[in-house]
Amino acid sequence: MSVADLKAKVARVQAKNDRLRRTLADFNERIVCGQLTGKLPDNFLEQFSQLPDRPLEQVLRFLPARQVFQMRHVSRRFNNLIRKCSKTMPKKGCQREVVFQSKHPGELSVDWFDDSGRKVSRRTTMVAGDEVALSELLRFIRFGGWMFFGEGVSAADKVLDQLSKAWLTIRPEVVVFSGDLSQTSRDSLRAFLAQVQPSIKQLKFQFASNIGDSLLSDDVIGAAGRLNGLMVLPVRGSTLRDVNIGDQTMLSLVDADHVSSFFFVTGCSGVTPVGIRAFIEKWMKKEELKPDGKTFSFGQSLEKCVLTFDNCANVTKAAVEEACGDLIKKEMIAVPDASSFDDSGEMSDHPCFTIDCPSTYRRLEIHFQFYSFISQNVEGPRFVTDDDSEPDIDDSDDDDEDDEDEDDDHDEDRDDEDDEDSDIY
Amino acid sequence: MIQLCSNDDPPVSFTVPRKAVELSKTIKTMLEDLEGFDMEQTPIPLPNVDAPTLELIVKWVEQHQDDPPPVEKPRVEDDDSDDSDADDDQEPEVVIPEWDKKFLPTDDEQKNQLFKLLNAANYLEIKPLLDIGCKYVADKISGQTVEWVRDYLNMENDYTPEEEAKLKEEIAWAEGL
Repeated sequence: MSVADLKAKVARVQAKNDRLRRTLADFNERIVCGQLTGKLPDNFLEQFSQLPDRPLEQVLRFLPARQVFQMRHVSRRFNNLIRKCSKTMPKKGCQREVVFQSKHPGELSVDWFDDSGRKVSRRTTMVAGDEVALSELLRFIRFGGWMFFGEGVSAADKVLDQLSKAWLTIRPEVVVFSGDLSQTSRDSLRAFLAQVQPSIKQLKFQFASNIGDSLLSDDVIGAAGRLNGLMVLPVRGSTLRDVNIGDQTMLSLVDADHVSSFFFVTGCSGVTPVGIRAFIEKWMKKEELKPDGKTFSFGQSLEKCVLTFDNCANVTKAAVEEACGDLIKKEMIAVPDASSFDDSGEMSDHPCFTIDCPSTYRRLEIHFQFYSFISQNVEGPRFVTDDDSEPDIDDSDDDDEDDEDEDDDHDEDRDDEDDEDSDIY
Repeated sequence: MIQLCSNDDPPVSFTVPRKAVELSKTIKTMLEDLEGFDMEQTPIPLPNVDAPTLELIVKWVEQHQDDPPPVEKPRVEDDDSDDSDADDDQEPEVVIPEWDKKFLPTDDEQKNQLFKLLNAANYLEIKPLLDIGCKYVADKISGQTVEWVRDYLNMENDYTPEEEAKLKEEIAWAEGL
């Protein structure tokens, strides 16, 4: 072997060596993560606070959600870390009710209720200011159950927009709007409904006030996906304008997963007798069933689908009878007079249309009375009413007065509803 | 066999079966990238791991080298636009195996050794070790007061009294949940 050959071989080996060394060096830098290269100061690693965020984040994930809140106190860094990763952290479940209320302008209170209807927490925040963002409050909580937008402009765009943030876990089954909707826009409502679409089963506008022109329409309601129940009922004395809810929304209700379903609308001129006929046909076809007109025997649970049309221009008894007379039968039911809304309401008979499917325990009812709205389907959050007799679990003193006032209010609401129910059934 | 060197002066080296050492994703990637070189003859220096910690790491990977590979779940990025399917945000379930319970440096005097181990597991990307270590720390912290946690994690309270009061108010509402 010549000297030149040997030299070439040495050069090759050296080049290979250099490459290896460079690659190793690259990896070392990667391992050290950042500015720390070379020899480390003594005891450097003994500071757990010097750990990268990832292990700390992992520790936080294993902690009970409730304790994570408190851990924000530990240090700034910990707080920032918690805020940063709270979006993906396991969330504290709130499966029952959440009530939003806005009793004073610009202020929003959020109440949580536990499984027995007891109020467990209340938080008041400013809607207008960005002091404490609503989404900030909700980031550790997973919603389920009922979501109730109560008194005041509790469903204002500012509130809905924050709730619509994609990373919040909001999975209510029932959403009730019963406050002032004057500050609620189509876009925000639609975005919110899209956010709750995976879980929502019932959507109710229940004695809501100031429902804006063209706030409600097929496409907005459609964002909520497949519903088992829809109620559009403005507060008494107000009228709806331009409610574009029509046959499309009504027909989509036939596809409900649950057989018991309701469609209660008031002032919806978009619904037509032709649509109702299509609904009935679809409903009957759903399980390839034919009505045989027999009545039910008692003791069997029956799945009721109820359509109620109040003040819907195109849906009159005569028009429905004309369009669907061959499919439905007429019954008389006793309901309180629509004119009186108190407990002493006079009862009188009103016609309604029905179809019975005894073989599958299904029944379809079509009502035309406003008062038919007032059924078991109209309820507020199921507040526990005997809070006063129980030891108060809310230990912050300044809240107590408010709580009492508020509970009283709800007691009355609840009583009213109970009475109404008992009048009918 | 692969040689790993600690950051001590002089370095302490450990010889580990390749299969065991590949539990570290960092080293595994590196070995893959260096395919073709004779890595058996090239010690790998680990500048952020000291000898006692490296000894623990080696002990752990040797014990677990035959474990079935963990099921990889994609990490959800923290992104506002992220359409996180929050339905599967359940708490990850980690059970510390019996052997690991004895293995982890759990005495109070060994606290810092435990943290060094976690640090090393993080850098070396040994996810199962990181998980059980973090789970241990979380169990330890669980139910403790803020002061206790601060002390345990060697953290300083760097809030001003005003900030602390404000934070307290912010958190109070959640206490009842």
